[in-house]
Amino acid sequence: MFLKFFYKCREKELKIGLSEWLTLIDALDQGLCGSQLTQFYYVARMILVKSETDFDKFDTAFEEVFKGAQADEEVTQQMLRWLDKPELSELLKKEEKRFGNQHTSEDNQIDKEDVETRFKERLKEQTEEHNGGSFWIGTTGSTPFGNTGNYVGGVRVGGASGYQSAFEVVGQRKFRDFRDDRVLESRQFQMALRKLRQFSTRLEIPKTELDIDATIDKTCNNGGCLQIEMMRPRKNAVKLLLLMDSGGTMIPYSSLVNELFQTVNKSNHFKDVKCYYFHNCIYSKVYKTPECENGDWIDTDWMFRNLDSDYKVIIVGDAAMAPEELYSVTGNYRGPNGGLAGIDWLKLMKSHYKRIIWMNPKMAPGRAPWREAETAIKELLPMYKLTVSGLNEGMKKLMETR
Amino acid sequence: MENNFNSTEEYVASEELMASVNVAMALKKPLLIKGEPGTGKTMLAQAVAKSLGLRLIIWNVKSTTKAQDGLYMYDTIQRLYDGQFGEEGVDDIARYIKLGKLGEAFESEEQVVLLIDEIDKADLEFPNDLLWELDQMEFYIHETKRTVKAKKRPIVIITSNAEKELPDAFLRRCIFHYIAFPDEALMREIVKVHFPDVEENLLKNAMDTFYWIRSMREVRKKPSTSELIDWINALQIGGIPADKIRSELPFIGVVVKKDEDLETVKHYV
Repeated sequence: MFLKFFYKCREKELKIGLSEWLTLIDALDQGLCGSQLTQFYYVARMILVKSETDFDKFDTAFEEVFKGAQADEEVTQQMLRWLDKPELSELLKKEEKRFGNQHTSEDNQIDKEDVETRFKERLKEQTEEHNGGSFWIGTTGSTPFGNTGNYVGGVRVGGASGYQSAFEVVGQRKFRDFRDDRVLESRQFQMALRKLRQFSTRLEIPKTELDIDATIDKTCNNGGCLQIEMMRPRKNAVKLLLLMDSGGTMIPYSSLVNELFQTVNKSNHFKDVKCYYFHNCIYSKVYKTPECENGDWIDTDWMFRNLDSDYKVIIVGDAAMAPEELYSVTGNYRGPNGGLAGIDWLKLMKSHYKRIIWMNPKMAPGRAPWREAETAIKELLPMYKLTVSGLNEGMKKLMETR
Repeated sequence: MENNFNSTEEYVASEELMASVNVAMALKKPLLIKGEPGTGKTMLAQAVAKSLGLRLIIWNVKSTTKAQDGLYMYDTIQRLYDGQFGEEGVDDIARYIKLGKLGEAFESEEQVVLLIDEIDKADLEFPNDLLWELDQMEFYIHETKRTVKAKKRPIVIITSNAEKELPDAFLRRCIFHYIAFPDEALMREIVKVHFPDVEENLLKNAMDTFYWIRSMREVRKKPSTSELIDWINALQIGGIPADKIRSELPFIGVVVKKDEDLETVKHYV
């Protein structure tokens, strides 16, 4: 019946399968949606959408499907005839006025006429969807108006409150903030970082856990006298190296990067976490503090020597720098270059650390030739935008086994 | 539907939430509740049970909980001991099968409300291990070759704090509801349920301050409903005059829990 809506939802990348759809049909059959679009909206949403991050996609799909639809010729004419009744037009106007006012008070951008035409469109469309309007007419009993002549008012008013509030909800798009392609917040960071897990029992730690199976086997072999067997607990073997840009162009993202830092520091599921800072690009030194004070640093070579290639590396930076900062052997205007250009240091990073990604808070979509440094780095290292979905992709990349 | 869930004396549910509960019951699907901490996810199950006059069984999920724990436990150690000391009935395995919370809900003669609290605390695979059990409302005890089947299909309510993402296959089977943070009107109702005779002026000032703190971007841990309720309780007991709430922020520690946040808030006063 609402197949179009189903496909629209899928088009909007909502993961809806047949089972959910059948559940919704079941709900409709049981009359759980009542006869109101608002209720249908909520019921459809609670069945089809499984995460608040997808509410916004659902809202847009819903709006597109139930807004502009084909009118049912016959019903429209019938309605127009009803609408012609002079004794009702007064009442009607009153209702319209109320309806219009309501809207203007809540949303000043919509003028009354627009509201009215849109409202009529929806009315037509909904009548069609509800099998020739029989559904709708059923509801009219509850409106202040009674019989045939007042039908119009009934349909209209019932429709108005029903539609209007559904679209009010949709129109506000109040779940836009929950979309997961927007920029991250700390809780979502945590969720993404949890993906970095690689359980291993082969770590060099003492055997502290009771190996139940082995104990049972041994005990049985021992004729029922208890013989305890211990094993190493499973621990996450992932080691993480976080390198963060704290250059001037990163200031707008400082709270975001700070959030990431806090999260990484708080996550206790890593075997080891190391954090260092750099300014625009990585050269022969990395800094211990975000202030990047001269002297408060360690040699990048030292880092290579001491943090072996098992470390998974996340570089956070906007990759916004002048070309010479990347290509010139004297490009580092704040500290030593170490005889190599920035790009060569990055190549060294890449050859040393097998799992390395670059997270960019303001990455340009697709190819962006005007950002020369960004494009060059993108070719060298896998770069993702610092958003929920970007970080998730990055985590996947880091966990890839070759 | 005869048995409809409605707001109770202690719990104010939004219309949307009530509809979700009723739809979930009618379609015989588990209801998955998500929302900010402190928006009353756990209390919902209590309210549903109370409103429908059913018993509530709570299964608190911890990080170490396995799906099997909810079904049954086979107390092998006890049997081993009993066997060594030659106790009666050692050969009867059923004596050593202890049903978990899910099993308890299935075996109950009357319909019950089963709350699986904070399902996201457990391991990532946990929800997947429960798919069959929640779908078919039955499970099999290997040791005794017995199938435990729900006598009356329990109403299953599952809460999640969104710490981990739940598997798609599991989500497909649920009715989903996200408890949005209550707006001022609903919040007013909620507070009134807890303190019917709260002084109007105090309530207004406290709520204004509360939403003002929540609106600050710099505040890291946003205070929630339960914190507001505690705060109003504290203000009432302390007998603080309403006009001092905003300017002096008495007992602000009840609402703001982090040092940095406390400084931020004080800075703006």
